[in-house]
Amino acid sequence: MKIKYNNNIISGIVFLTVSVILFILIPSQIQTMETSSINAQTMPTVAIIGMLLFSIGLLFQGIFTSEKKQVIINKQFFKSESFRKEMKSVLYAIMLLVYIVLFTYAGFLVANTLLVISILLYYGARKWYYYAIPLSMVVVVYYIFKVLLYVSLP
Amino acid sequence: MEIFLDGLQVLMQWQNFLIIPVGLALGIVVGAIPGLTSDLGIILCIPLTYGMDPTMAILMLLAIYCGGTYGGSITAILINTPGTSANAATLFDGYPMTKNGLAYKALSMALFASTVGGLISGFALLFLAPQIAKVTLLFGPAEYFSLAVFGLSIIAGVSNNSIFKGLIGASIGIFISTIGMDSISGTTRFTFGNINLMSGINLIIALIGLFAISEIMMKSQYNPKTDQKTISSSSITKCKITKDEYKRCAKPIGIGSLIGCIIGATPGTGGGLAAFISYNQAKQSSKHPETFGKGEIEGVAASESANNGACGATMIPMLTLGVPGDGATAILMGAFMIHGMVPGPLLFRDQGNILYAIMIGFIIINIFMYLIGSVFTKFYAHITRIPYEILACVVLTFCTAGAYSTSNSIYDVYIIIIVGIIAYFLRRMDFQLVPVLLGIVLGPLAETNFRRALILSDGSLNIFITRPISLAFIVIAVASIVLFSIRNKKANSRVHN
Repeated sequence: MKIKYNNNIISGIVFLTVSVILFILIPSQIQTMETSSINAQTMPTVAIIGMLLFSIGLLFQGIFTSEKKQVIINKQFFKSESFRKEMKSVLYAIMLLVYIVLFTYAGFLVANTLLVISILLYYGARKWYYYAIPLSMVVVVYYIFKVLLYVSLP
Repeated sequence: MEIFLDGLQVLMQWQNFLIIPVGLALGIVVGAIPGLTSDLGIILCIPLTYGMDPTMAILMLLAIYCGGTYGGSITAILINTPGTSANAATLFDGYPMTKNGLAYKALSMALFASTVGGLISGFALLFLAPQIAKVTLLFGPAEYFSLAVFGLSIIAGVSNNSIFKGLIGASIGIFISTIGMDSISGTTRFTFGNINLMSGINLIIALIGLFAISEIMMKSQYNPKTDQKTISSSSITKCKITKDEYKRCAKPIGIGSLIGCIIGATPGTGGGLAAFISYNQAKQSSKHPETFGKGEIEGVAASESANNGACGATMIPMLTLGVPGDGATAILMGAFMIHGMVPGPLLFRDQGNILYAIMIGFIIINIFMYLIGSVFTKFYAHITRIPYEILACVVLTFCTAGAYSTSNSIYDVYIIIIVGIIAYFLRRMDFQLVPVLLGIVLGPLAETNFRRALILSDGSLNIFITRPISLAFIVIAVASIVLFSIRNKKANSRVHN
């Protein structure tokens, strides 16, 4: 399957969809009792309509004026270097999302220790001090915040 | 003159000169940690000042304030994460300079511009406080709204590649700024029933997510074997500011300091807005605006002189009228009261000698800041030599701890990660993050004052053009957009040719 695209088309579609969803949500998410024409709904509505109109503009720019890249989606594509690089970014994002779950249930020390180890493994770090420095920083930061700044990290 | 000399006499005690460097060091450290602000530093140190005499106590807290505002530029320049919101404009050119191997130069210019801005602000506080306070009293909701519109006009200047992308970014920023409880009607907006979102998204949290987390994600494709640069220790501090660069930066620093004084003296604005406006002004009046955003030293000079220029000026409405200019001065006002001084017109009459000691002390603080900063800038610059794998882990640790500490809430940690992932997508799609940031910073100022102005004018929009200061800001904003559009068009046609 052949796909022609550019950043303007992708971001135009994404923000057009987001702005339509947000626009539909306005009445349920902002239930104001104000009777004046300028009220709590005004600014979010202006921002969302702005996003919607500018996304349409960007989409048109992407379709009619910007240069497009062509990608053929087949088995070769999934083995390509560019696809592998994109997947690395997705993996990094998943690591961060898992981290926030861990932060909630296991606390700062455990979550950050595991995050530091995963990031260093992700980059393929092998030297011992690459692990020792950030891990000791996790402990130092924990105590600075807890003892000096009176912030009880979870 | 007599009261001035009395003030000088109160100031000339060795304890005062000892406490200033301590306060500055604390402020620089607090300011440099993303998520911690000088406000927090001042709050934490107020109990330490109970046993001190008023002059010494206020000087220590002021030193934390100034040090914090400067300290935020260190991380903005080195790791693309402003330590405080006042330093957000510094990263536009500060971080590209670091990427070009000019971190030491950027840090030195940030220190120099901060000091000059702080000194000019200190002199304004000492000699022009009552006059400036009178001008800022002329500001009503219409003027504040127009000022915010003027600030938003910067979007035209930073959206070189696509104006649509800049405007979408600003819309996203304004939308984010509206999340939470509406300050006028108390209506909740886009909280999805979540009580943690009632107070909205904190600016510092948004900043950490937008810049620090997205930067870490941008490096997810970094390969230590091929991408790691070996920078020798000697080469880092080799790049010093040249005479020509000092000359070029003189104008942006001078104008930036004045902008800082005027904006800072206007209650409810602060150093962040001053830095944006100063940066915009420097870019507009530059002979080579295309270099801004790519590591232009004048950009660092303009923004840093303005945010530190606002430091002393924020004290003007507080000391003369009893109206705090921003969060830090509101806390400082509390500290003044704790030490038996009630800010307002009577303070000059009743405790003039202490007040003059503090105002002269503010100038001394800025001189000390330069001396301390000059020694430590060399050490900060070496942060760029740390292998990226280690730096990413340390930055993430500080960011998550700093985010949690802003309101002791795990939700803030969620928000930095989610905002970071969204910002990463934006950057991959060639969006600039500056318009998003401008929307978040200026959205609330614009919305609240727009609504207040319309209440005052019974719904008539004429209020924005019939008041001279408001009209002036709108005219400058329109002129700025037109000028930038012409320049961008010319630059684009040059690229196509």
